[in-house]
Amino acid sequence: MRKDTNQAKPGRRDFLKLAGIGAVAAGVAGVTGQKAEAAPDTEAKSSGYRLTHHVRKVYELARF
Amino acid sequence: MESTVVEPECAIGSEERLRLLPYKLLARYFAAPPDRELLDLSARLEGDGTPFGRALAALAAAAAEATPEGVEEEYQSLFIGLGRGEILPYASYYLTGFLQERPLAELRIELERLGVARAEDTAEPEDHVAALCEVMAGLISGAFGDGRLTTQKRFFETHMAPWMGRLFADLEKARSARLYRHVARVGRCFLEIEETAFAMIDGHEAAVSVGD
Repeated sequence: MRKDTNQAKPGRRDFLKLAGIGAVAAGVAGVTGQKAEAAPDTEAKSSGYRLTHHVRKVYELARF
Repeated sequence: MESTVVEPECAIGSEERLRLLPYKLLARYFAAPPDRELLDLSARLEGDGTPFGRALAALAAAAAEATPEGVEEEYQSLFIGLGRGEILPYASYYLTGFLQERPLAELRIELERLGVARAEDTAEPEDHVAALCEVMAGLISGAFGDGRLTTQKRFFETHMAPWMGRLFADLEKARSARLYRHVARVGRCFLEIEETAFAMIDGHEAAVSVGD
């Protein structure tokens, strides 16, 4: 219904393209590909600084 | 129900979807020192001639020279330190001069609305730069929130844009920063892209901020 607010103006996609967002895909796809997608930043690092799994999805548990 | 989900924007490979990659990259670098895998992958980044592309290329070159041990030490000096690190990468600190102030409280309200909670095994406040980047990645991928660009815009403009540029600027010139100078530059260039791109969205809904 409120489709308007949900759509980028045509310029946005072109801008993102020109700004080089596409360039990141080649290399970064590996950084954040399937593995990272499933389990970003898997285990805690030895530093003891654990932001890994900092956020998690909880909305399944809530109202949805 | 389906009207609340953005489909075209989330198509894999589209520019919208690709935005989650830099957010994840930044989240990984700020959440913990990079391991060998992240350094190797970073070394394979290829940039084009844009400022963002050149920043990526510079990060790639620096990552190719870096070792996990060396960068761990750098990370410790920058973000952990003895007592405190050189850089405090929290929204609250940048916006108020103190940790865990009102910006964190406002962020927590927003995260609750989005259905995002801190993992149980972390005591790190949610306004850490890595957490915010993770949330944005989740908003882009559709893991969190309602999939609307206006939701992303509101989150970005309320909780990230007002301070993150200063964080990246500080990090670029931090005394201990070596590899992280390049991470900061990637962050700064990407933030500028995001700011401009969000300004292109018709964001009536985004005018409702948490803080008023």
